[in-house]
Amino acid sequence: MEKDGFFSNEGNGIPQSWNSIFGMDMESQVNELNCSSEQIPNCFFNRNWDNSMDQSDPFESALSSIVSSPVNSHPGIPIPGCGGDNVVLKELIGRLGSICNSGEISPQSCIQGNNSANTSCYNTPLNSPPKLNLSIMDHHHQIQGNLPIPRNHQLPLSPFPADPGFVERAARYSCFGGKKEPEFPHMVESGMLSRASSNQSFKTTGSQFVGIQEEKNGMPVPASDKKFSRLSMSLTSENKELDNSMEESSLSEQIPGGEIGIKGQTTNSNGRKRKAIPKGKGKETQFSAKDNTTVGEQEKEVSDAKRSKSGEEGHATEKEKEKEKEKVEGNGNGNQKQSKETAKLPEPPKDYIHVRARRGQATDSHSLAERVRREKISERMKFLQDLVPGCNKVTGKAVMLDEIINYVQSLQRQVEFLSMKLATVNPRTDMNMEGLLSKDTFQRASMSNTMNPMDTSAQQFYGMIVNGQEHPLMAMMHRNPNMKSDGFEEAAAFWGMGNDLQSVVQMGFGQNQPQSFHGAMGAGQMKVEL
Amino acid sequence: MSASQQLTPTNPNSALKIRLAYRFLLTLNTLNAKKPPNFDHTQIHRRSHRVKIAAYASMASVVGPKRAWSRAILWKIRNRGMLARNKKRIHRISTPIRLHRHHARRRRNPNRVVHVDPFVNSGLEVKLRKLVPGAETIDPCGLLDETADYIKYLATQVEVMRNLVDLYSTI
Repeated sequence: MEKDGFFSNEGNGIPQSWNSIFGMDMESQVNELNCSSEQIPNCFFNRNWDNSMDQSDPFESALSSIVSSPVNSHPGIPIPGCGGDNVVLKELIGRLGSICNSGEISPQSCIQGNNSANTSCYNTPLNSPPKLNLSIMDHHHQIQGNLPIPRNHQLPLSPFPADPGFVERAARYSCFGGKKEPEFPHMVESGMLSRASSNQSFKTTGSQFVGIQEEKNGMPVPASDKKFSRLSMSLTSENKELDNSMEESSLSEQIPGGEIGIKGQTTNSNGRKRKAIPKGKGKETQFSAKDNTTVGEQEKEVSDAKRSKSGEEGHATEKEKEKEKEKVEGNGNGNQKQSKETAKLPEPPKDYIHVRARRGQATDSHSLAERVRREKISERMKFLQDLVPGCNKVTGKAVMLDEIINYVQSLQRQVEFLSMKLATVNPRTDMNMEGLLSKDTFQRASMSNTMNPMDTSAQQFYGMIVNGQEHPLMAMMHRNPNMKSDGFEEAAAFWGMGNDLQSVVQMGFGQNQPQSFHGAMGAGQMKVEL
Repeated sequence: MSASQQLTPTNPNSALKIRLAYRFLLTLNTLNAKKPPNFDHTQIHRRSHRVKIAAYASMASVVGPKRAWSRAILWKIRNRGMLARNKKRIHRISTPIRLHRHHARRRRNPNRVVHVDPFVNSGLEVKLRKLVPGAETIDPCGLLDETADYIKYLATQVEVMRNLVDLYSTI
């Protein structure tokens, strides 16, 4: 099948990258779902499955299969749902793009489809692309649970078709998509032209989108379309995120299925990732080719997408969105720019702590992958910051690493020093460790971490404290030569010494025993804590 | 150290501490049982070395083979006799090829010297790799993960030991 052929022709590079992108997308998207690596093979598999399903126009069939695939228990019927959000549309567009690019219906896997309604709304006015959008929307909904949103989004659909800029943008997007694939630049151009020539209606755009594929009849077409859709998706998604302006929504809508946008970082990241990883260069070239204000906007969106992508790895998706919003808004104010200029426009230097891709920077696949790597590393550094005390104000990898190294060295030196101390101190104790080491006591101790009412042992401790004459432990030892039964108390005492603070907090005794305190109280408190 | 920080996650942290303490006390007990402690200077030095090894061993065994650093520590400790022997014969252990003769069951030598290209900071990365056991051959991203895990366990172990020392010293 064409799709399969296309897929195979692409080799492992694109599908893999797509997978990785998609996988990463999944991660970001499905923060809740936790689809990390597992998703990738799933998506992959789904895509293949979808491919096989389509016998006719690969793209359209892919779309329809995606839409109608019952994989996600989703009626997949292109029921004109309520369009839903721009975000959803964006997602759809993203999915569409991804599908187109990869020739697969990977989004299917993502489209967990509970938004059949949404998709349906979206589909009504649209052709197959809408289906894809629906699926994406469904997926988006699933992920974000914004069921009502897509509904709303549907409304603006109708006015859009007539948007003259739509075709432009569509063309641009297609160009973008085409550029992504170095092999299909010419196709993209033609596609763009064809798109441009087509009417302004949204439907037309959609048909363009589809039609382009038809024209090309081949892998190149879907590839370029995919790219186009992907680009549009990413752009739209970004747009959606930033503001739900009509323009954005129209833009997203215009772009078949892609733009509606996923608000989600997931979508953005999806689109971004897909675009960025396999065809970083394409984007740049595309940018240069385009020379419209909308292009500029879109570029911004793309860069935002990249940013979102970078952020998707983390937790920083929210931040990403905000950042993207800011960036897009800032950029959107008239960066007409030639694509090249905007593409090369350096953004504020990437902060080590904040994962943020530079706008328009390095669309090269290598640099993109490196950026992803860097973001991962910065995420880990952030986590390390929490571990190492006193590193909150430190920013920058070098200083942070220095602190980490110093901390590890100091910890190791402490272990050595304490072991020396233990070696000298140990022989002095005549404690019978058997009781202490009885697993039961420790298990009891660990199990009873939560607050416990004071038991007899604790009361004993307190009794001793009242006496205030002897260390409770010593008292216990004196009273019970056989430590077996006192293992628990001993453990409690042991832990009490170290955990007075914790015990205090837990028990609310309000007695803040300093470490130097001999732990009588601490032991008792520890007891309760245990 | 980070007592205040550990205040918030007390439950998981104390559970970890209890596990560490249990393991450590086990090894300490065996250590003490094996040789009666004396106050000879050299003996104390040797004992402290053994205690240190026991600390690291207990720390690594609590984690198990899940982590690269724990695996490296356990491997080092298990094979330290062999390593010492090899060190005498070969001044620099570059590859563990010869160790095959002594240890058939060894998957990978974590002590193998690997020339790692630091990803961002040249000197610091290498330093960190040397500090964290078994982190010579990991990619930079995983290196940070291992470092974080290692720091967590190391800090907990230090606290356990400190508590033990306090406990012993007050008796």
